[in-house]
Amino acid sequence: MSNRTVIPFGPQHPVLPEPIQLKLELQDETVVSAIPHIGYVHRGIEKAAERMEYTQNVFLVERVCGICSFIHALCYCQAIEQLQNIEASPRAKYLRVIWSELHRLHSHHLWLGLFADAFGYESLFMQFWRNREMLMDIFDKTAGSRVIISTCAIGGTRRDISDVHLQEILDTLDEVEKQLDKTLPVILNDYTVKKRTVGIGKITREQALELGAAGPVLRANGVAQDMRQLGYAAYGELGFEPVTENDGDCYARAKVRARECYQSVELVRKAIRQLPDGEILTKPKGRPKGQVISRVEQPRGELLYFLSADGTNRLDRLRIRTPTFANVPPLVAMLPGCELADVPVIVLSIDPCISCTER
Amino acid sequence: MINNVLSNLFSKPATRDFPAKMREIAENVRGSVEFNTENCVYCGACALKCPANAIEVDRPAKKVTFDLYKCVACACCAEACRKGCIQMAKQYAHPSYRKMDVVFQGEPLLTDANGDS
Repeated sequence: MSNRTVIPFGPQHPVLPEPIQLKLELQDETVVSAIPHIGYVHRGIEKAAERMEYTQNVFLVERVCGICSFIHALCYCQAIEQLQNIEASPRAKYLRVIWSELHRLHSHHLWLGLFADAFGYESLFMQFWRNREMLMDIFDKTAGSRVIISTCAIGGTRRDISDVHLQEILDTLDEVEKQLDKTLPVILNDYTVKKRTVGIGKITREQALELGAAGPVLRANGVAQDMRQLGYAAYGELGFEPVTENDGDCYARAKVRARECYQSVELVRKAIRQLPDGEILTKPKGRPKGQVISRVEQPRGELLYFLSADGTNRLDRLRIRTPTFANVPPLVAMLPGCELADVPVIVLSIDPCISCTER
Repeated sequence: MINNVLSNLFSKPATRDFPAKMREIAENVRGSVEFNTENCVYCGACALKCPANAIEVDRPAKKVTFDLYKCVACACCAEACRKGCIQMAKQYAHPSYRKMDVVFQGEPLLTDANGDS
């Protein structure tokens, strides 16, 4: 056991936008084992949710994660709708798909940029983030806010998207796709990028399943599991097929997300084409009572909400399980055997969202 | 390669000349809350709906206290107000040196946390 050193990676590290610590045990330059430490950004949101009214919680759960705020609100609202036996109108369902997919698209852009930054490709990072700005502008125009869009409500959506804005979304998506055609081949075909990602941070399909990986980490191992297959909101009517890759390394995970960008663009286009007319909000009656589990697909994987309500205007318990929490054990399995210099790339390859994880 | 060089030489920069040229604010933006107490009946519907508890309504004193720093700009109060007293302004809240509560009582008054004007 001589020559072994322990190097703390994080909680503050140039590649980490959020604080997580990995204690890396090294044999020379090779990682032998990694111990994750979380708990730096715990905000007590689950407890706060028990003290607020269930209608106000929609705005609280949005703040669990800034990047996929709408999807958190959607998961919560679907759970409450299930408890109150109401169903969102068809138009609201399609609007939910549009906003969810735009969130996924901008989250993947953000990740692709950060990933490029992790192996020191700063100009590519800026290209992706410039692209992402166009998507943020859509949120600003349609929802009135760039990050926390607050458009999901119990029983539907709070805002409608006008025809003018729908056309604007389509035009923006054309532009985004054009830019993606230019920038994505760099991630996928560049010699240096491939050297840094192919075969790095590899786990097997069995490991991924056993350790409970979620989202693109699981799909990069050839498991076609995506919560959108459940057909929540309007996904059931859009003919959705999950994107999978088979290699299970950093490159495969990047490829899954890159392909999901195009898939999201297509889903938004399809949803806009099929968008029905009608009301956007079904007024809920009564108060929620009972227990329910709601699952949706976040950009990072499966998001799970457990709600317990007793018929008052406050919840008994709200439990949130985010995909990054599920992806930490696979991350710990990916690290042994890799070089120290590859650790940032591997950590970023699971798209960690620590604020989500700690709530 | 040459195409890229030429297009970069003659194309406009991707950034804006910030103070001279501001970003256009979208039409339906939820910028900041604007109170208009002329028609207010002090019913307290806005305070009930506010998820951040940023609004306090004192009915006997006919007073609305609005904590700008708790506000999350969700526009719930604007939706709840039946008198149309609350609008979402098409501008973002400006930064300030002190934490101020905005008190609306007849004429809007500005006070800080200690009650000094």
